Amino acid sequence: MRKIIFNIFIIITLISCSAKNDDPGVEYAPNMYHSVPYEPLSQVKDEEIGSWLDSNPDDGHGEFYNSNPYNPYSMTMREPVENTVRRGSSLPYRLPKDSLELSASVKSPIEDSEDVLKEAKVLYDRYCVHCHGEKGMGDGSVGKVYKGVTAYNSRAVKDKPEGHIFHVITHGKGRMWGHGSQISIEDRWKIVKYVQTLQRQ
Amino acid sequence: MQTKPTKLLVHFGVPFSQFFGLILLSILLSIPYQIIAQDEESQEYDPSVVKNGENLFKGNCTVCHAINEVVIGPALKDVHERQTEEWIYAFIKNSQKVIKSGDEYAVNLYNEYNKTLMTSFDFSDEELNAILTYIKDESSREIQVVVADANQGLEGGEVSSVSSDNLYISLGLNLILLLIIIFVLFRFTNLSKKYVLLKDNQSKGKLLDEEDLEVVKSQFNIKKFIKSNKFVGITSFIFIAVFVKSCIDGLYTIGIQQNYQPTQPIAFSHKIHAGQYEIDCNYCHTGVNISKSANIPSVNICMNCHGVINTDKPEIQKILTAYEENRPIEWVRVHNLPDLAYFNHKQHVAVGGIECATCHGPIEEMDVVYQYSELTMGWCINCHRETEVNAKGNDYYKKLVELHNSSSKKPMKVEDIGGLECSKCHY
Repeated sequence: MRKIIFNIFIIITLISCSAKNDDPGVEYAPNMYHSVPYEPLSQVKDEEIGSWLDSNPDDGHGEFYNSNPYNPYSMTMREPVENTVRRGSSLPYRLPKDSLELSASVKSPIEDSEDVLKEAKVLYDRYCVHCHGEKGMGDGSVGKVYKGVTAYNSRAVKDKPEGHIFHVITHGKGRMWGHGSQISIEDRWKIVKYVQTLQRQ
Repeated sequence: MQTKPTKLLVHFGVPFSQFFGLILLSILLSIPYQIIAQDEESQEYDPSVVKNGENLFKGNCTVCHAINEVVIGPALKDVHERQTEEWIYAFIKNSQKVIKSGDEYAVNLYNEYNKTLMTSFDFSDEELNAILTYIKDESSREIQVVVADANQGLEGGEVSSVSSDNLYISLGLNLILLLIIIFVLFRFTNLSKKYVLLKDNQSKGKLLDEEDLEVVKSQFNIKKFIKSNKFVGITSFIFIAVFVKSCIDGLYTIGIQQNYQPTQPIAFSHKIHAGQYEIDCNYCHTGVNISKSANIPSVNICMNCHGVINTDKPEIQKILTAYEENRPIEWVRVHNLPDLAYFNHKQHVAVGGIECATCHGPIEEMDVVYQYSELTMGWCINCHRETEVNAKGNDYYKKLVELHNSSSKKPMKVEDIGGLECSKCHY
């Protein structure tokens, strides 16, 4: 009988190794699981975590502690310094949000082509379609609930120039918020091309 | 005057109350006709103008306005009774101008509707007249529409509640059926035993010999059964098999976080966002095509919609406060690939053309996200052995594919271009 109980005990211990709900389960070689250098999207703020196998007791925190105390909120990632320009990309768009009228004179740096339109359609389906709808009528799955999404071919906006569209994607207008942080400048100009085809329909 | 009918009722008793009821009924019946009559009255508007106005209204106005409910802007029922036609036309043409001119009604309207500016529309006076005519026409006939909508809502509710109950009812019925079968079988054995014994008695013991009688009269002996070699053998085999299997399974779960489903600081549901509203994964996980990590969206991406939607709900309030304080939300990471292995999203999604769901599973059905795949080395290797390289339209692979095809008839798999090399993932 004792043997049976012992066996059942072993099974229960082993089963409890697996991950479930809030418990990530037992790690096989934890020192090799947790990154020593800062990693994006993983941050261990608790200094106690991993102190039971600390390989460097002098650093004053546990093995798995991984936060940068010099960043705001001890984040491991940091925003680029203000006014830095990214390499290998077009120059930043400097017009502030309130210069909507000025933006009308901004010209697109990309040429019209079949390929651009194809790529633009993919981008449109990623970033715009759920509000603006397949045909830009403002009837996307979210747009119906969000309300107030203007159809591209409606009288008020169908003649807006490319610079205007780019500015609105970047900074938003009315109920729409700016999408400049999500979509790169090149991709925004591509989306403008596709939106123009929907304006003309 | 009002007391008269009651007095009459008392005097004439039952017959008159019936008569009175008839009158009431006839009045009730006549009400729908009155509405229709009203509709006919509203036909004084030129149908072609109304039709033109309807097209213009539906093409330009419905995103922000409805006749009977507030959408973004005010409900437009009887708008012509609130302001003069000149005022309405001026507001539609350039609302900003009217507000800036200090018009009290316009300024109040602007403040009441969250300072949202109405887009300017350069309609001609004729078109404006058509739109207003359409609104006037709609204003006079809204009652029936509302009733129809309410009925639809009720029917929908009933249908869904019945379908969810059906499951439990069928389960219960199955259970009852099972119990009845067991009971009937039990009764049947008992009855047949009794019947055989009765027949045996009638034939004075000629029907059954000693052995038969032993079978018929045998009682089920649990103690004897348990101690029998067969039972001990079978049970110990099952026990050992289950034990060994559970031990092996248990050992295999060490270091595997499949099904890890941490509670997140905000009860965000992928089922609603990716499932119901079909928002593309890329909209929030913007890094997936351009970097190693797919990225957890920053607060401003949540605010793209939730600056407006459901701002009064407690879970959304958490986003709003984080946004106001410019503080990041501390989501709990679900997929913790060990630091000893390298994985790159861009390589798999942008170049390889792998769908998100291949590794992350049915995210659009998860309220709380859990780790769907094992993320073990065996799992990675297996996919690299089975998956063909997505070389279509990618000149980088052009010569590799030619080279591969010259020496092999099978399509080029990931393993053929070094997908199994140690240093690809471990360095």
